Amino acid sequence: MCPEAETDLQRYKEEAERYRLLADQSTDMISRHTATPDWTYIDVNTAVERVLGYTVDEIIGIKGYNLFHPEDADNLRTRANSVSYRRGMYTNVYRYRHKNGHYIWLETTSRTIRSNDGEPVEVICVSRDVTERELAQQATRRLARVVEASSDMIMFCKHESLQLTYMNEASYISMGTEKENPAVFYLDQLFTEDILAKLVRPALSHAADHGIWYGSISLRLPTNPKRIAEIREVIAHRNRTDNNRVEYYSIIGRDITLQKKAEDEAKRHQLEMAHMARLLSVGEMASGLAHEINQPLAAIINYCRGTLRRADEGKADLETTYNAMRLVTRQANRAAEIVRRMRSFVKKTEYQRIEFPINEACREISHFLHQEAIDHNITFDFQLDSNDPSLLADKIQIEQVLLNLMRNAIEAYSECDNRYRPVIIRSRSTDNYIYIEIEDEARGIAGEQLDKLFEAFYTSKSNGLGMGLAISRTIIETHGGQLWAQSDGETGTRFNLKLPIRDK
Amino acid sequence: MQNSTETVFIVDDDDDFRDSMQWLLESDDLTVVGFNSAQQFLDNYQHQSGCMLLDVRMPDINGLALQQIMIERGISLPIIVLSGHGDIPMAVSAMKHGALDFLEKPFDDEVLLRQVHQALETARNQANSQQEAQQSQGRYASLSRREKEVMTLVVSGKANREIAEVLGISPKTVEVHRSRVMSKMQADSLPNLVHQAARLN
Repeated sequence: MCPEAETDLQRYKEEAERYRLLADQSTDMISRHTATPDWTYIDVNTAVERVLGYTVDEIIGIKGYNLFHPEDADNLRTRANSVSYRRGMYTNVYRYRHKNGHYIWLETTSRTIRSNDGEPVEVICVSRDVTERELAQQATRRLARVVEASSDMIMFCKHESLQLTYMNEASYISMGTEKENPAVFYLDQLFTEDILAKLVRPALSHAADHGIWYGSISLRLPTNPKRIAEIREVIAHRNRTDNNRVEYYSIIGRDITLQKKAEDEAKRHQLEMAHMARLLSVGEMASGLAHEINQPLAAIINYCRGTLRRADEGKADLETTYNAMRLVTRQANRAAEIVRRMRSFVKKTEYQRIEFPINEACREISHFLHQEAIDHNITFDFQLDSNDPSLLADKIQIEQVLLNLMRNAIEAYSECDNRYRPVIIRSRSTDNYIYIEIEDEARGIAGEQLDKLFEAFYTSKSNGLGMGLAISRTIIETHGGQLWAQSDGETGTRFNLKLPIRDK
Repeated sequence: MQNSTETVFIVDDDDDFRDSMQWLLESDDLTVVGFNSAQQFLDNYQHQSGCMLLDVRMPDINGLALQQIMIERGISLPIIVLSGHGDIPMAVSAMKHGALDFLEKPFDDEVLLRQVHQALETARNQANSQQEAQQSQGRYASLSRREKEVMTLVVSGKANREIAEVLGISPKTVEVHRSRVMSKMQADSLPNLVHQAARLN
């Protein structure tokens, strides 16, 4: 060998040694593989120990293909999404088996070395462990999917312009629009001007100040007016690099169309029940009502026949007849009033909240029970709040409850010998509540029965359905109130009614 | 035959209805007095003759209870029960306790007036027989002991001869006592005497 060649060889050796040093210093794993389908390891730098757990000697000769996660092994061949190609180099992200058996994420850039006639000779790979990055990205992707798939409406909205930069599927569905044709581009399109100024802007600034706002603001959905939705949460996101300024908001809302529908359904159901209950009570009171109507009718007939008899005998002067007609009219009105009262009571009404004086309602219902009270020798004893408080509620329904309770109080006496039989009706009010008590001094109700009192179909009466108190309690609870009973089991029972003066 | 001292008493708690009843009855020239409760009637009744129209459904003392009280106190006014819808069992019960009749409201005035007149007649008959009973009582009191003995035996159907045997006196004397009994009791015949004797018990 000539000295020059000797020198060259020496230089190449040193150069190769430097490259090897360079490769060994690299934290990336650099490996050479056969250009066969099993990518057998030919050579690798020492980074393999840190990345895959094998020593250099151990891994040489192992078939690289076999260490791929089964789902990722054919990424390159199938040109999966995880593979990109740039200037003769492939970059692939895939799961690869560590010596310990678990999988790690590798990002590998590979190039195929070819001979001068184009035949593949070997494959050179540079791989790095991207497990941490992949897992983080995976979490982010999952998070994004959760946001996208959430049944809540989720929207991102810019701070100043209120431009909507993202809406999830649920938002599009509620708005009745599509991603391709959103129709709604700005948050302010979703509210009336009034609500925007009074509620939405304060909510945004509250979120900006405190990070988050909770509440409930109705959305106006111009593209889908049948849906009912509201926003419930606003989260302000600050930019950490730019002076910590608010950058955008996440707006979380909920489509409550179904919920509203169910609530309406329940309300209608309850109206039906209340109506049924009224029909039932009128049915149960039929005998008394018929008697009440009979009285004026009988009086009218008497006046008419009396007048006709006088006329027959030539004794009917104008004044007598006029007087009789006046009396007839009065009786006819009395009968009509009874019918009117009964009709308005059984009339099917929508749920309607009105303000009405509770004392008057108590008295009115006691008039309705006039006949039953007489039959049972009942004395109504009113101890009413002298401030004459008013209640905002569904009058017909509240009256139904009062009727039930008063009838129960009357009937409580049916199996006892008391001569004095009071039904005491008390009312009193505080700032927020009206309390009504309906009390009898009959035998009372024993403890275990007291508990069952409000159950449906529980009854102590032979002709009752046992729905009265159950329905009454439902009605009172829908009004945000409470209905309960107290009794010592010996000397009487008291039903307590607590109602908010204005239900929500 | 109208007797102005006869009164129709109405006991009904419904003022309007009572008023209309009065209007109707007065068209037939009846004297009517109304009470709005059983208690008011009991407090004010002075044993006038007449009849009563009584409502069964009333607070405190209802029609049936008043009827009982009247029986206990010996108030014998004939009663026509007035009942409303659904009071039939109560009306029937009133009938069982001696009410004359019952009418369901509203009722036909012809029927009502017919029954009122019938009730008044019943009252008159009651009054007459009561009066006759009192008269017979008075006459009987004027008889001597022996005459009373003779009368008892006469009305039990015994012949003079048998009476004479029982009392140990002559048939002639029995004949004298007997004619005195007939004259003092103002009996024009034996059946009349028997009738009066029956009333005395």
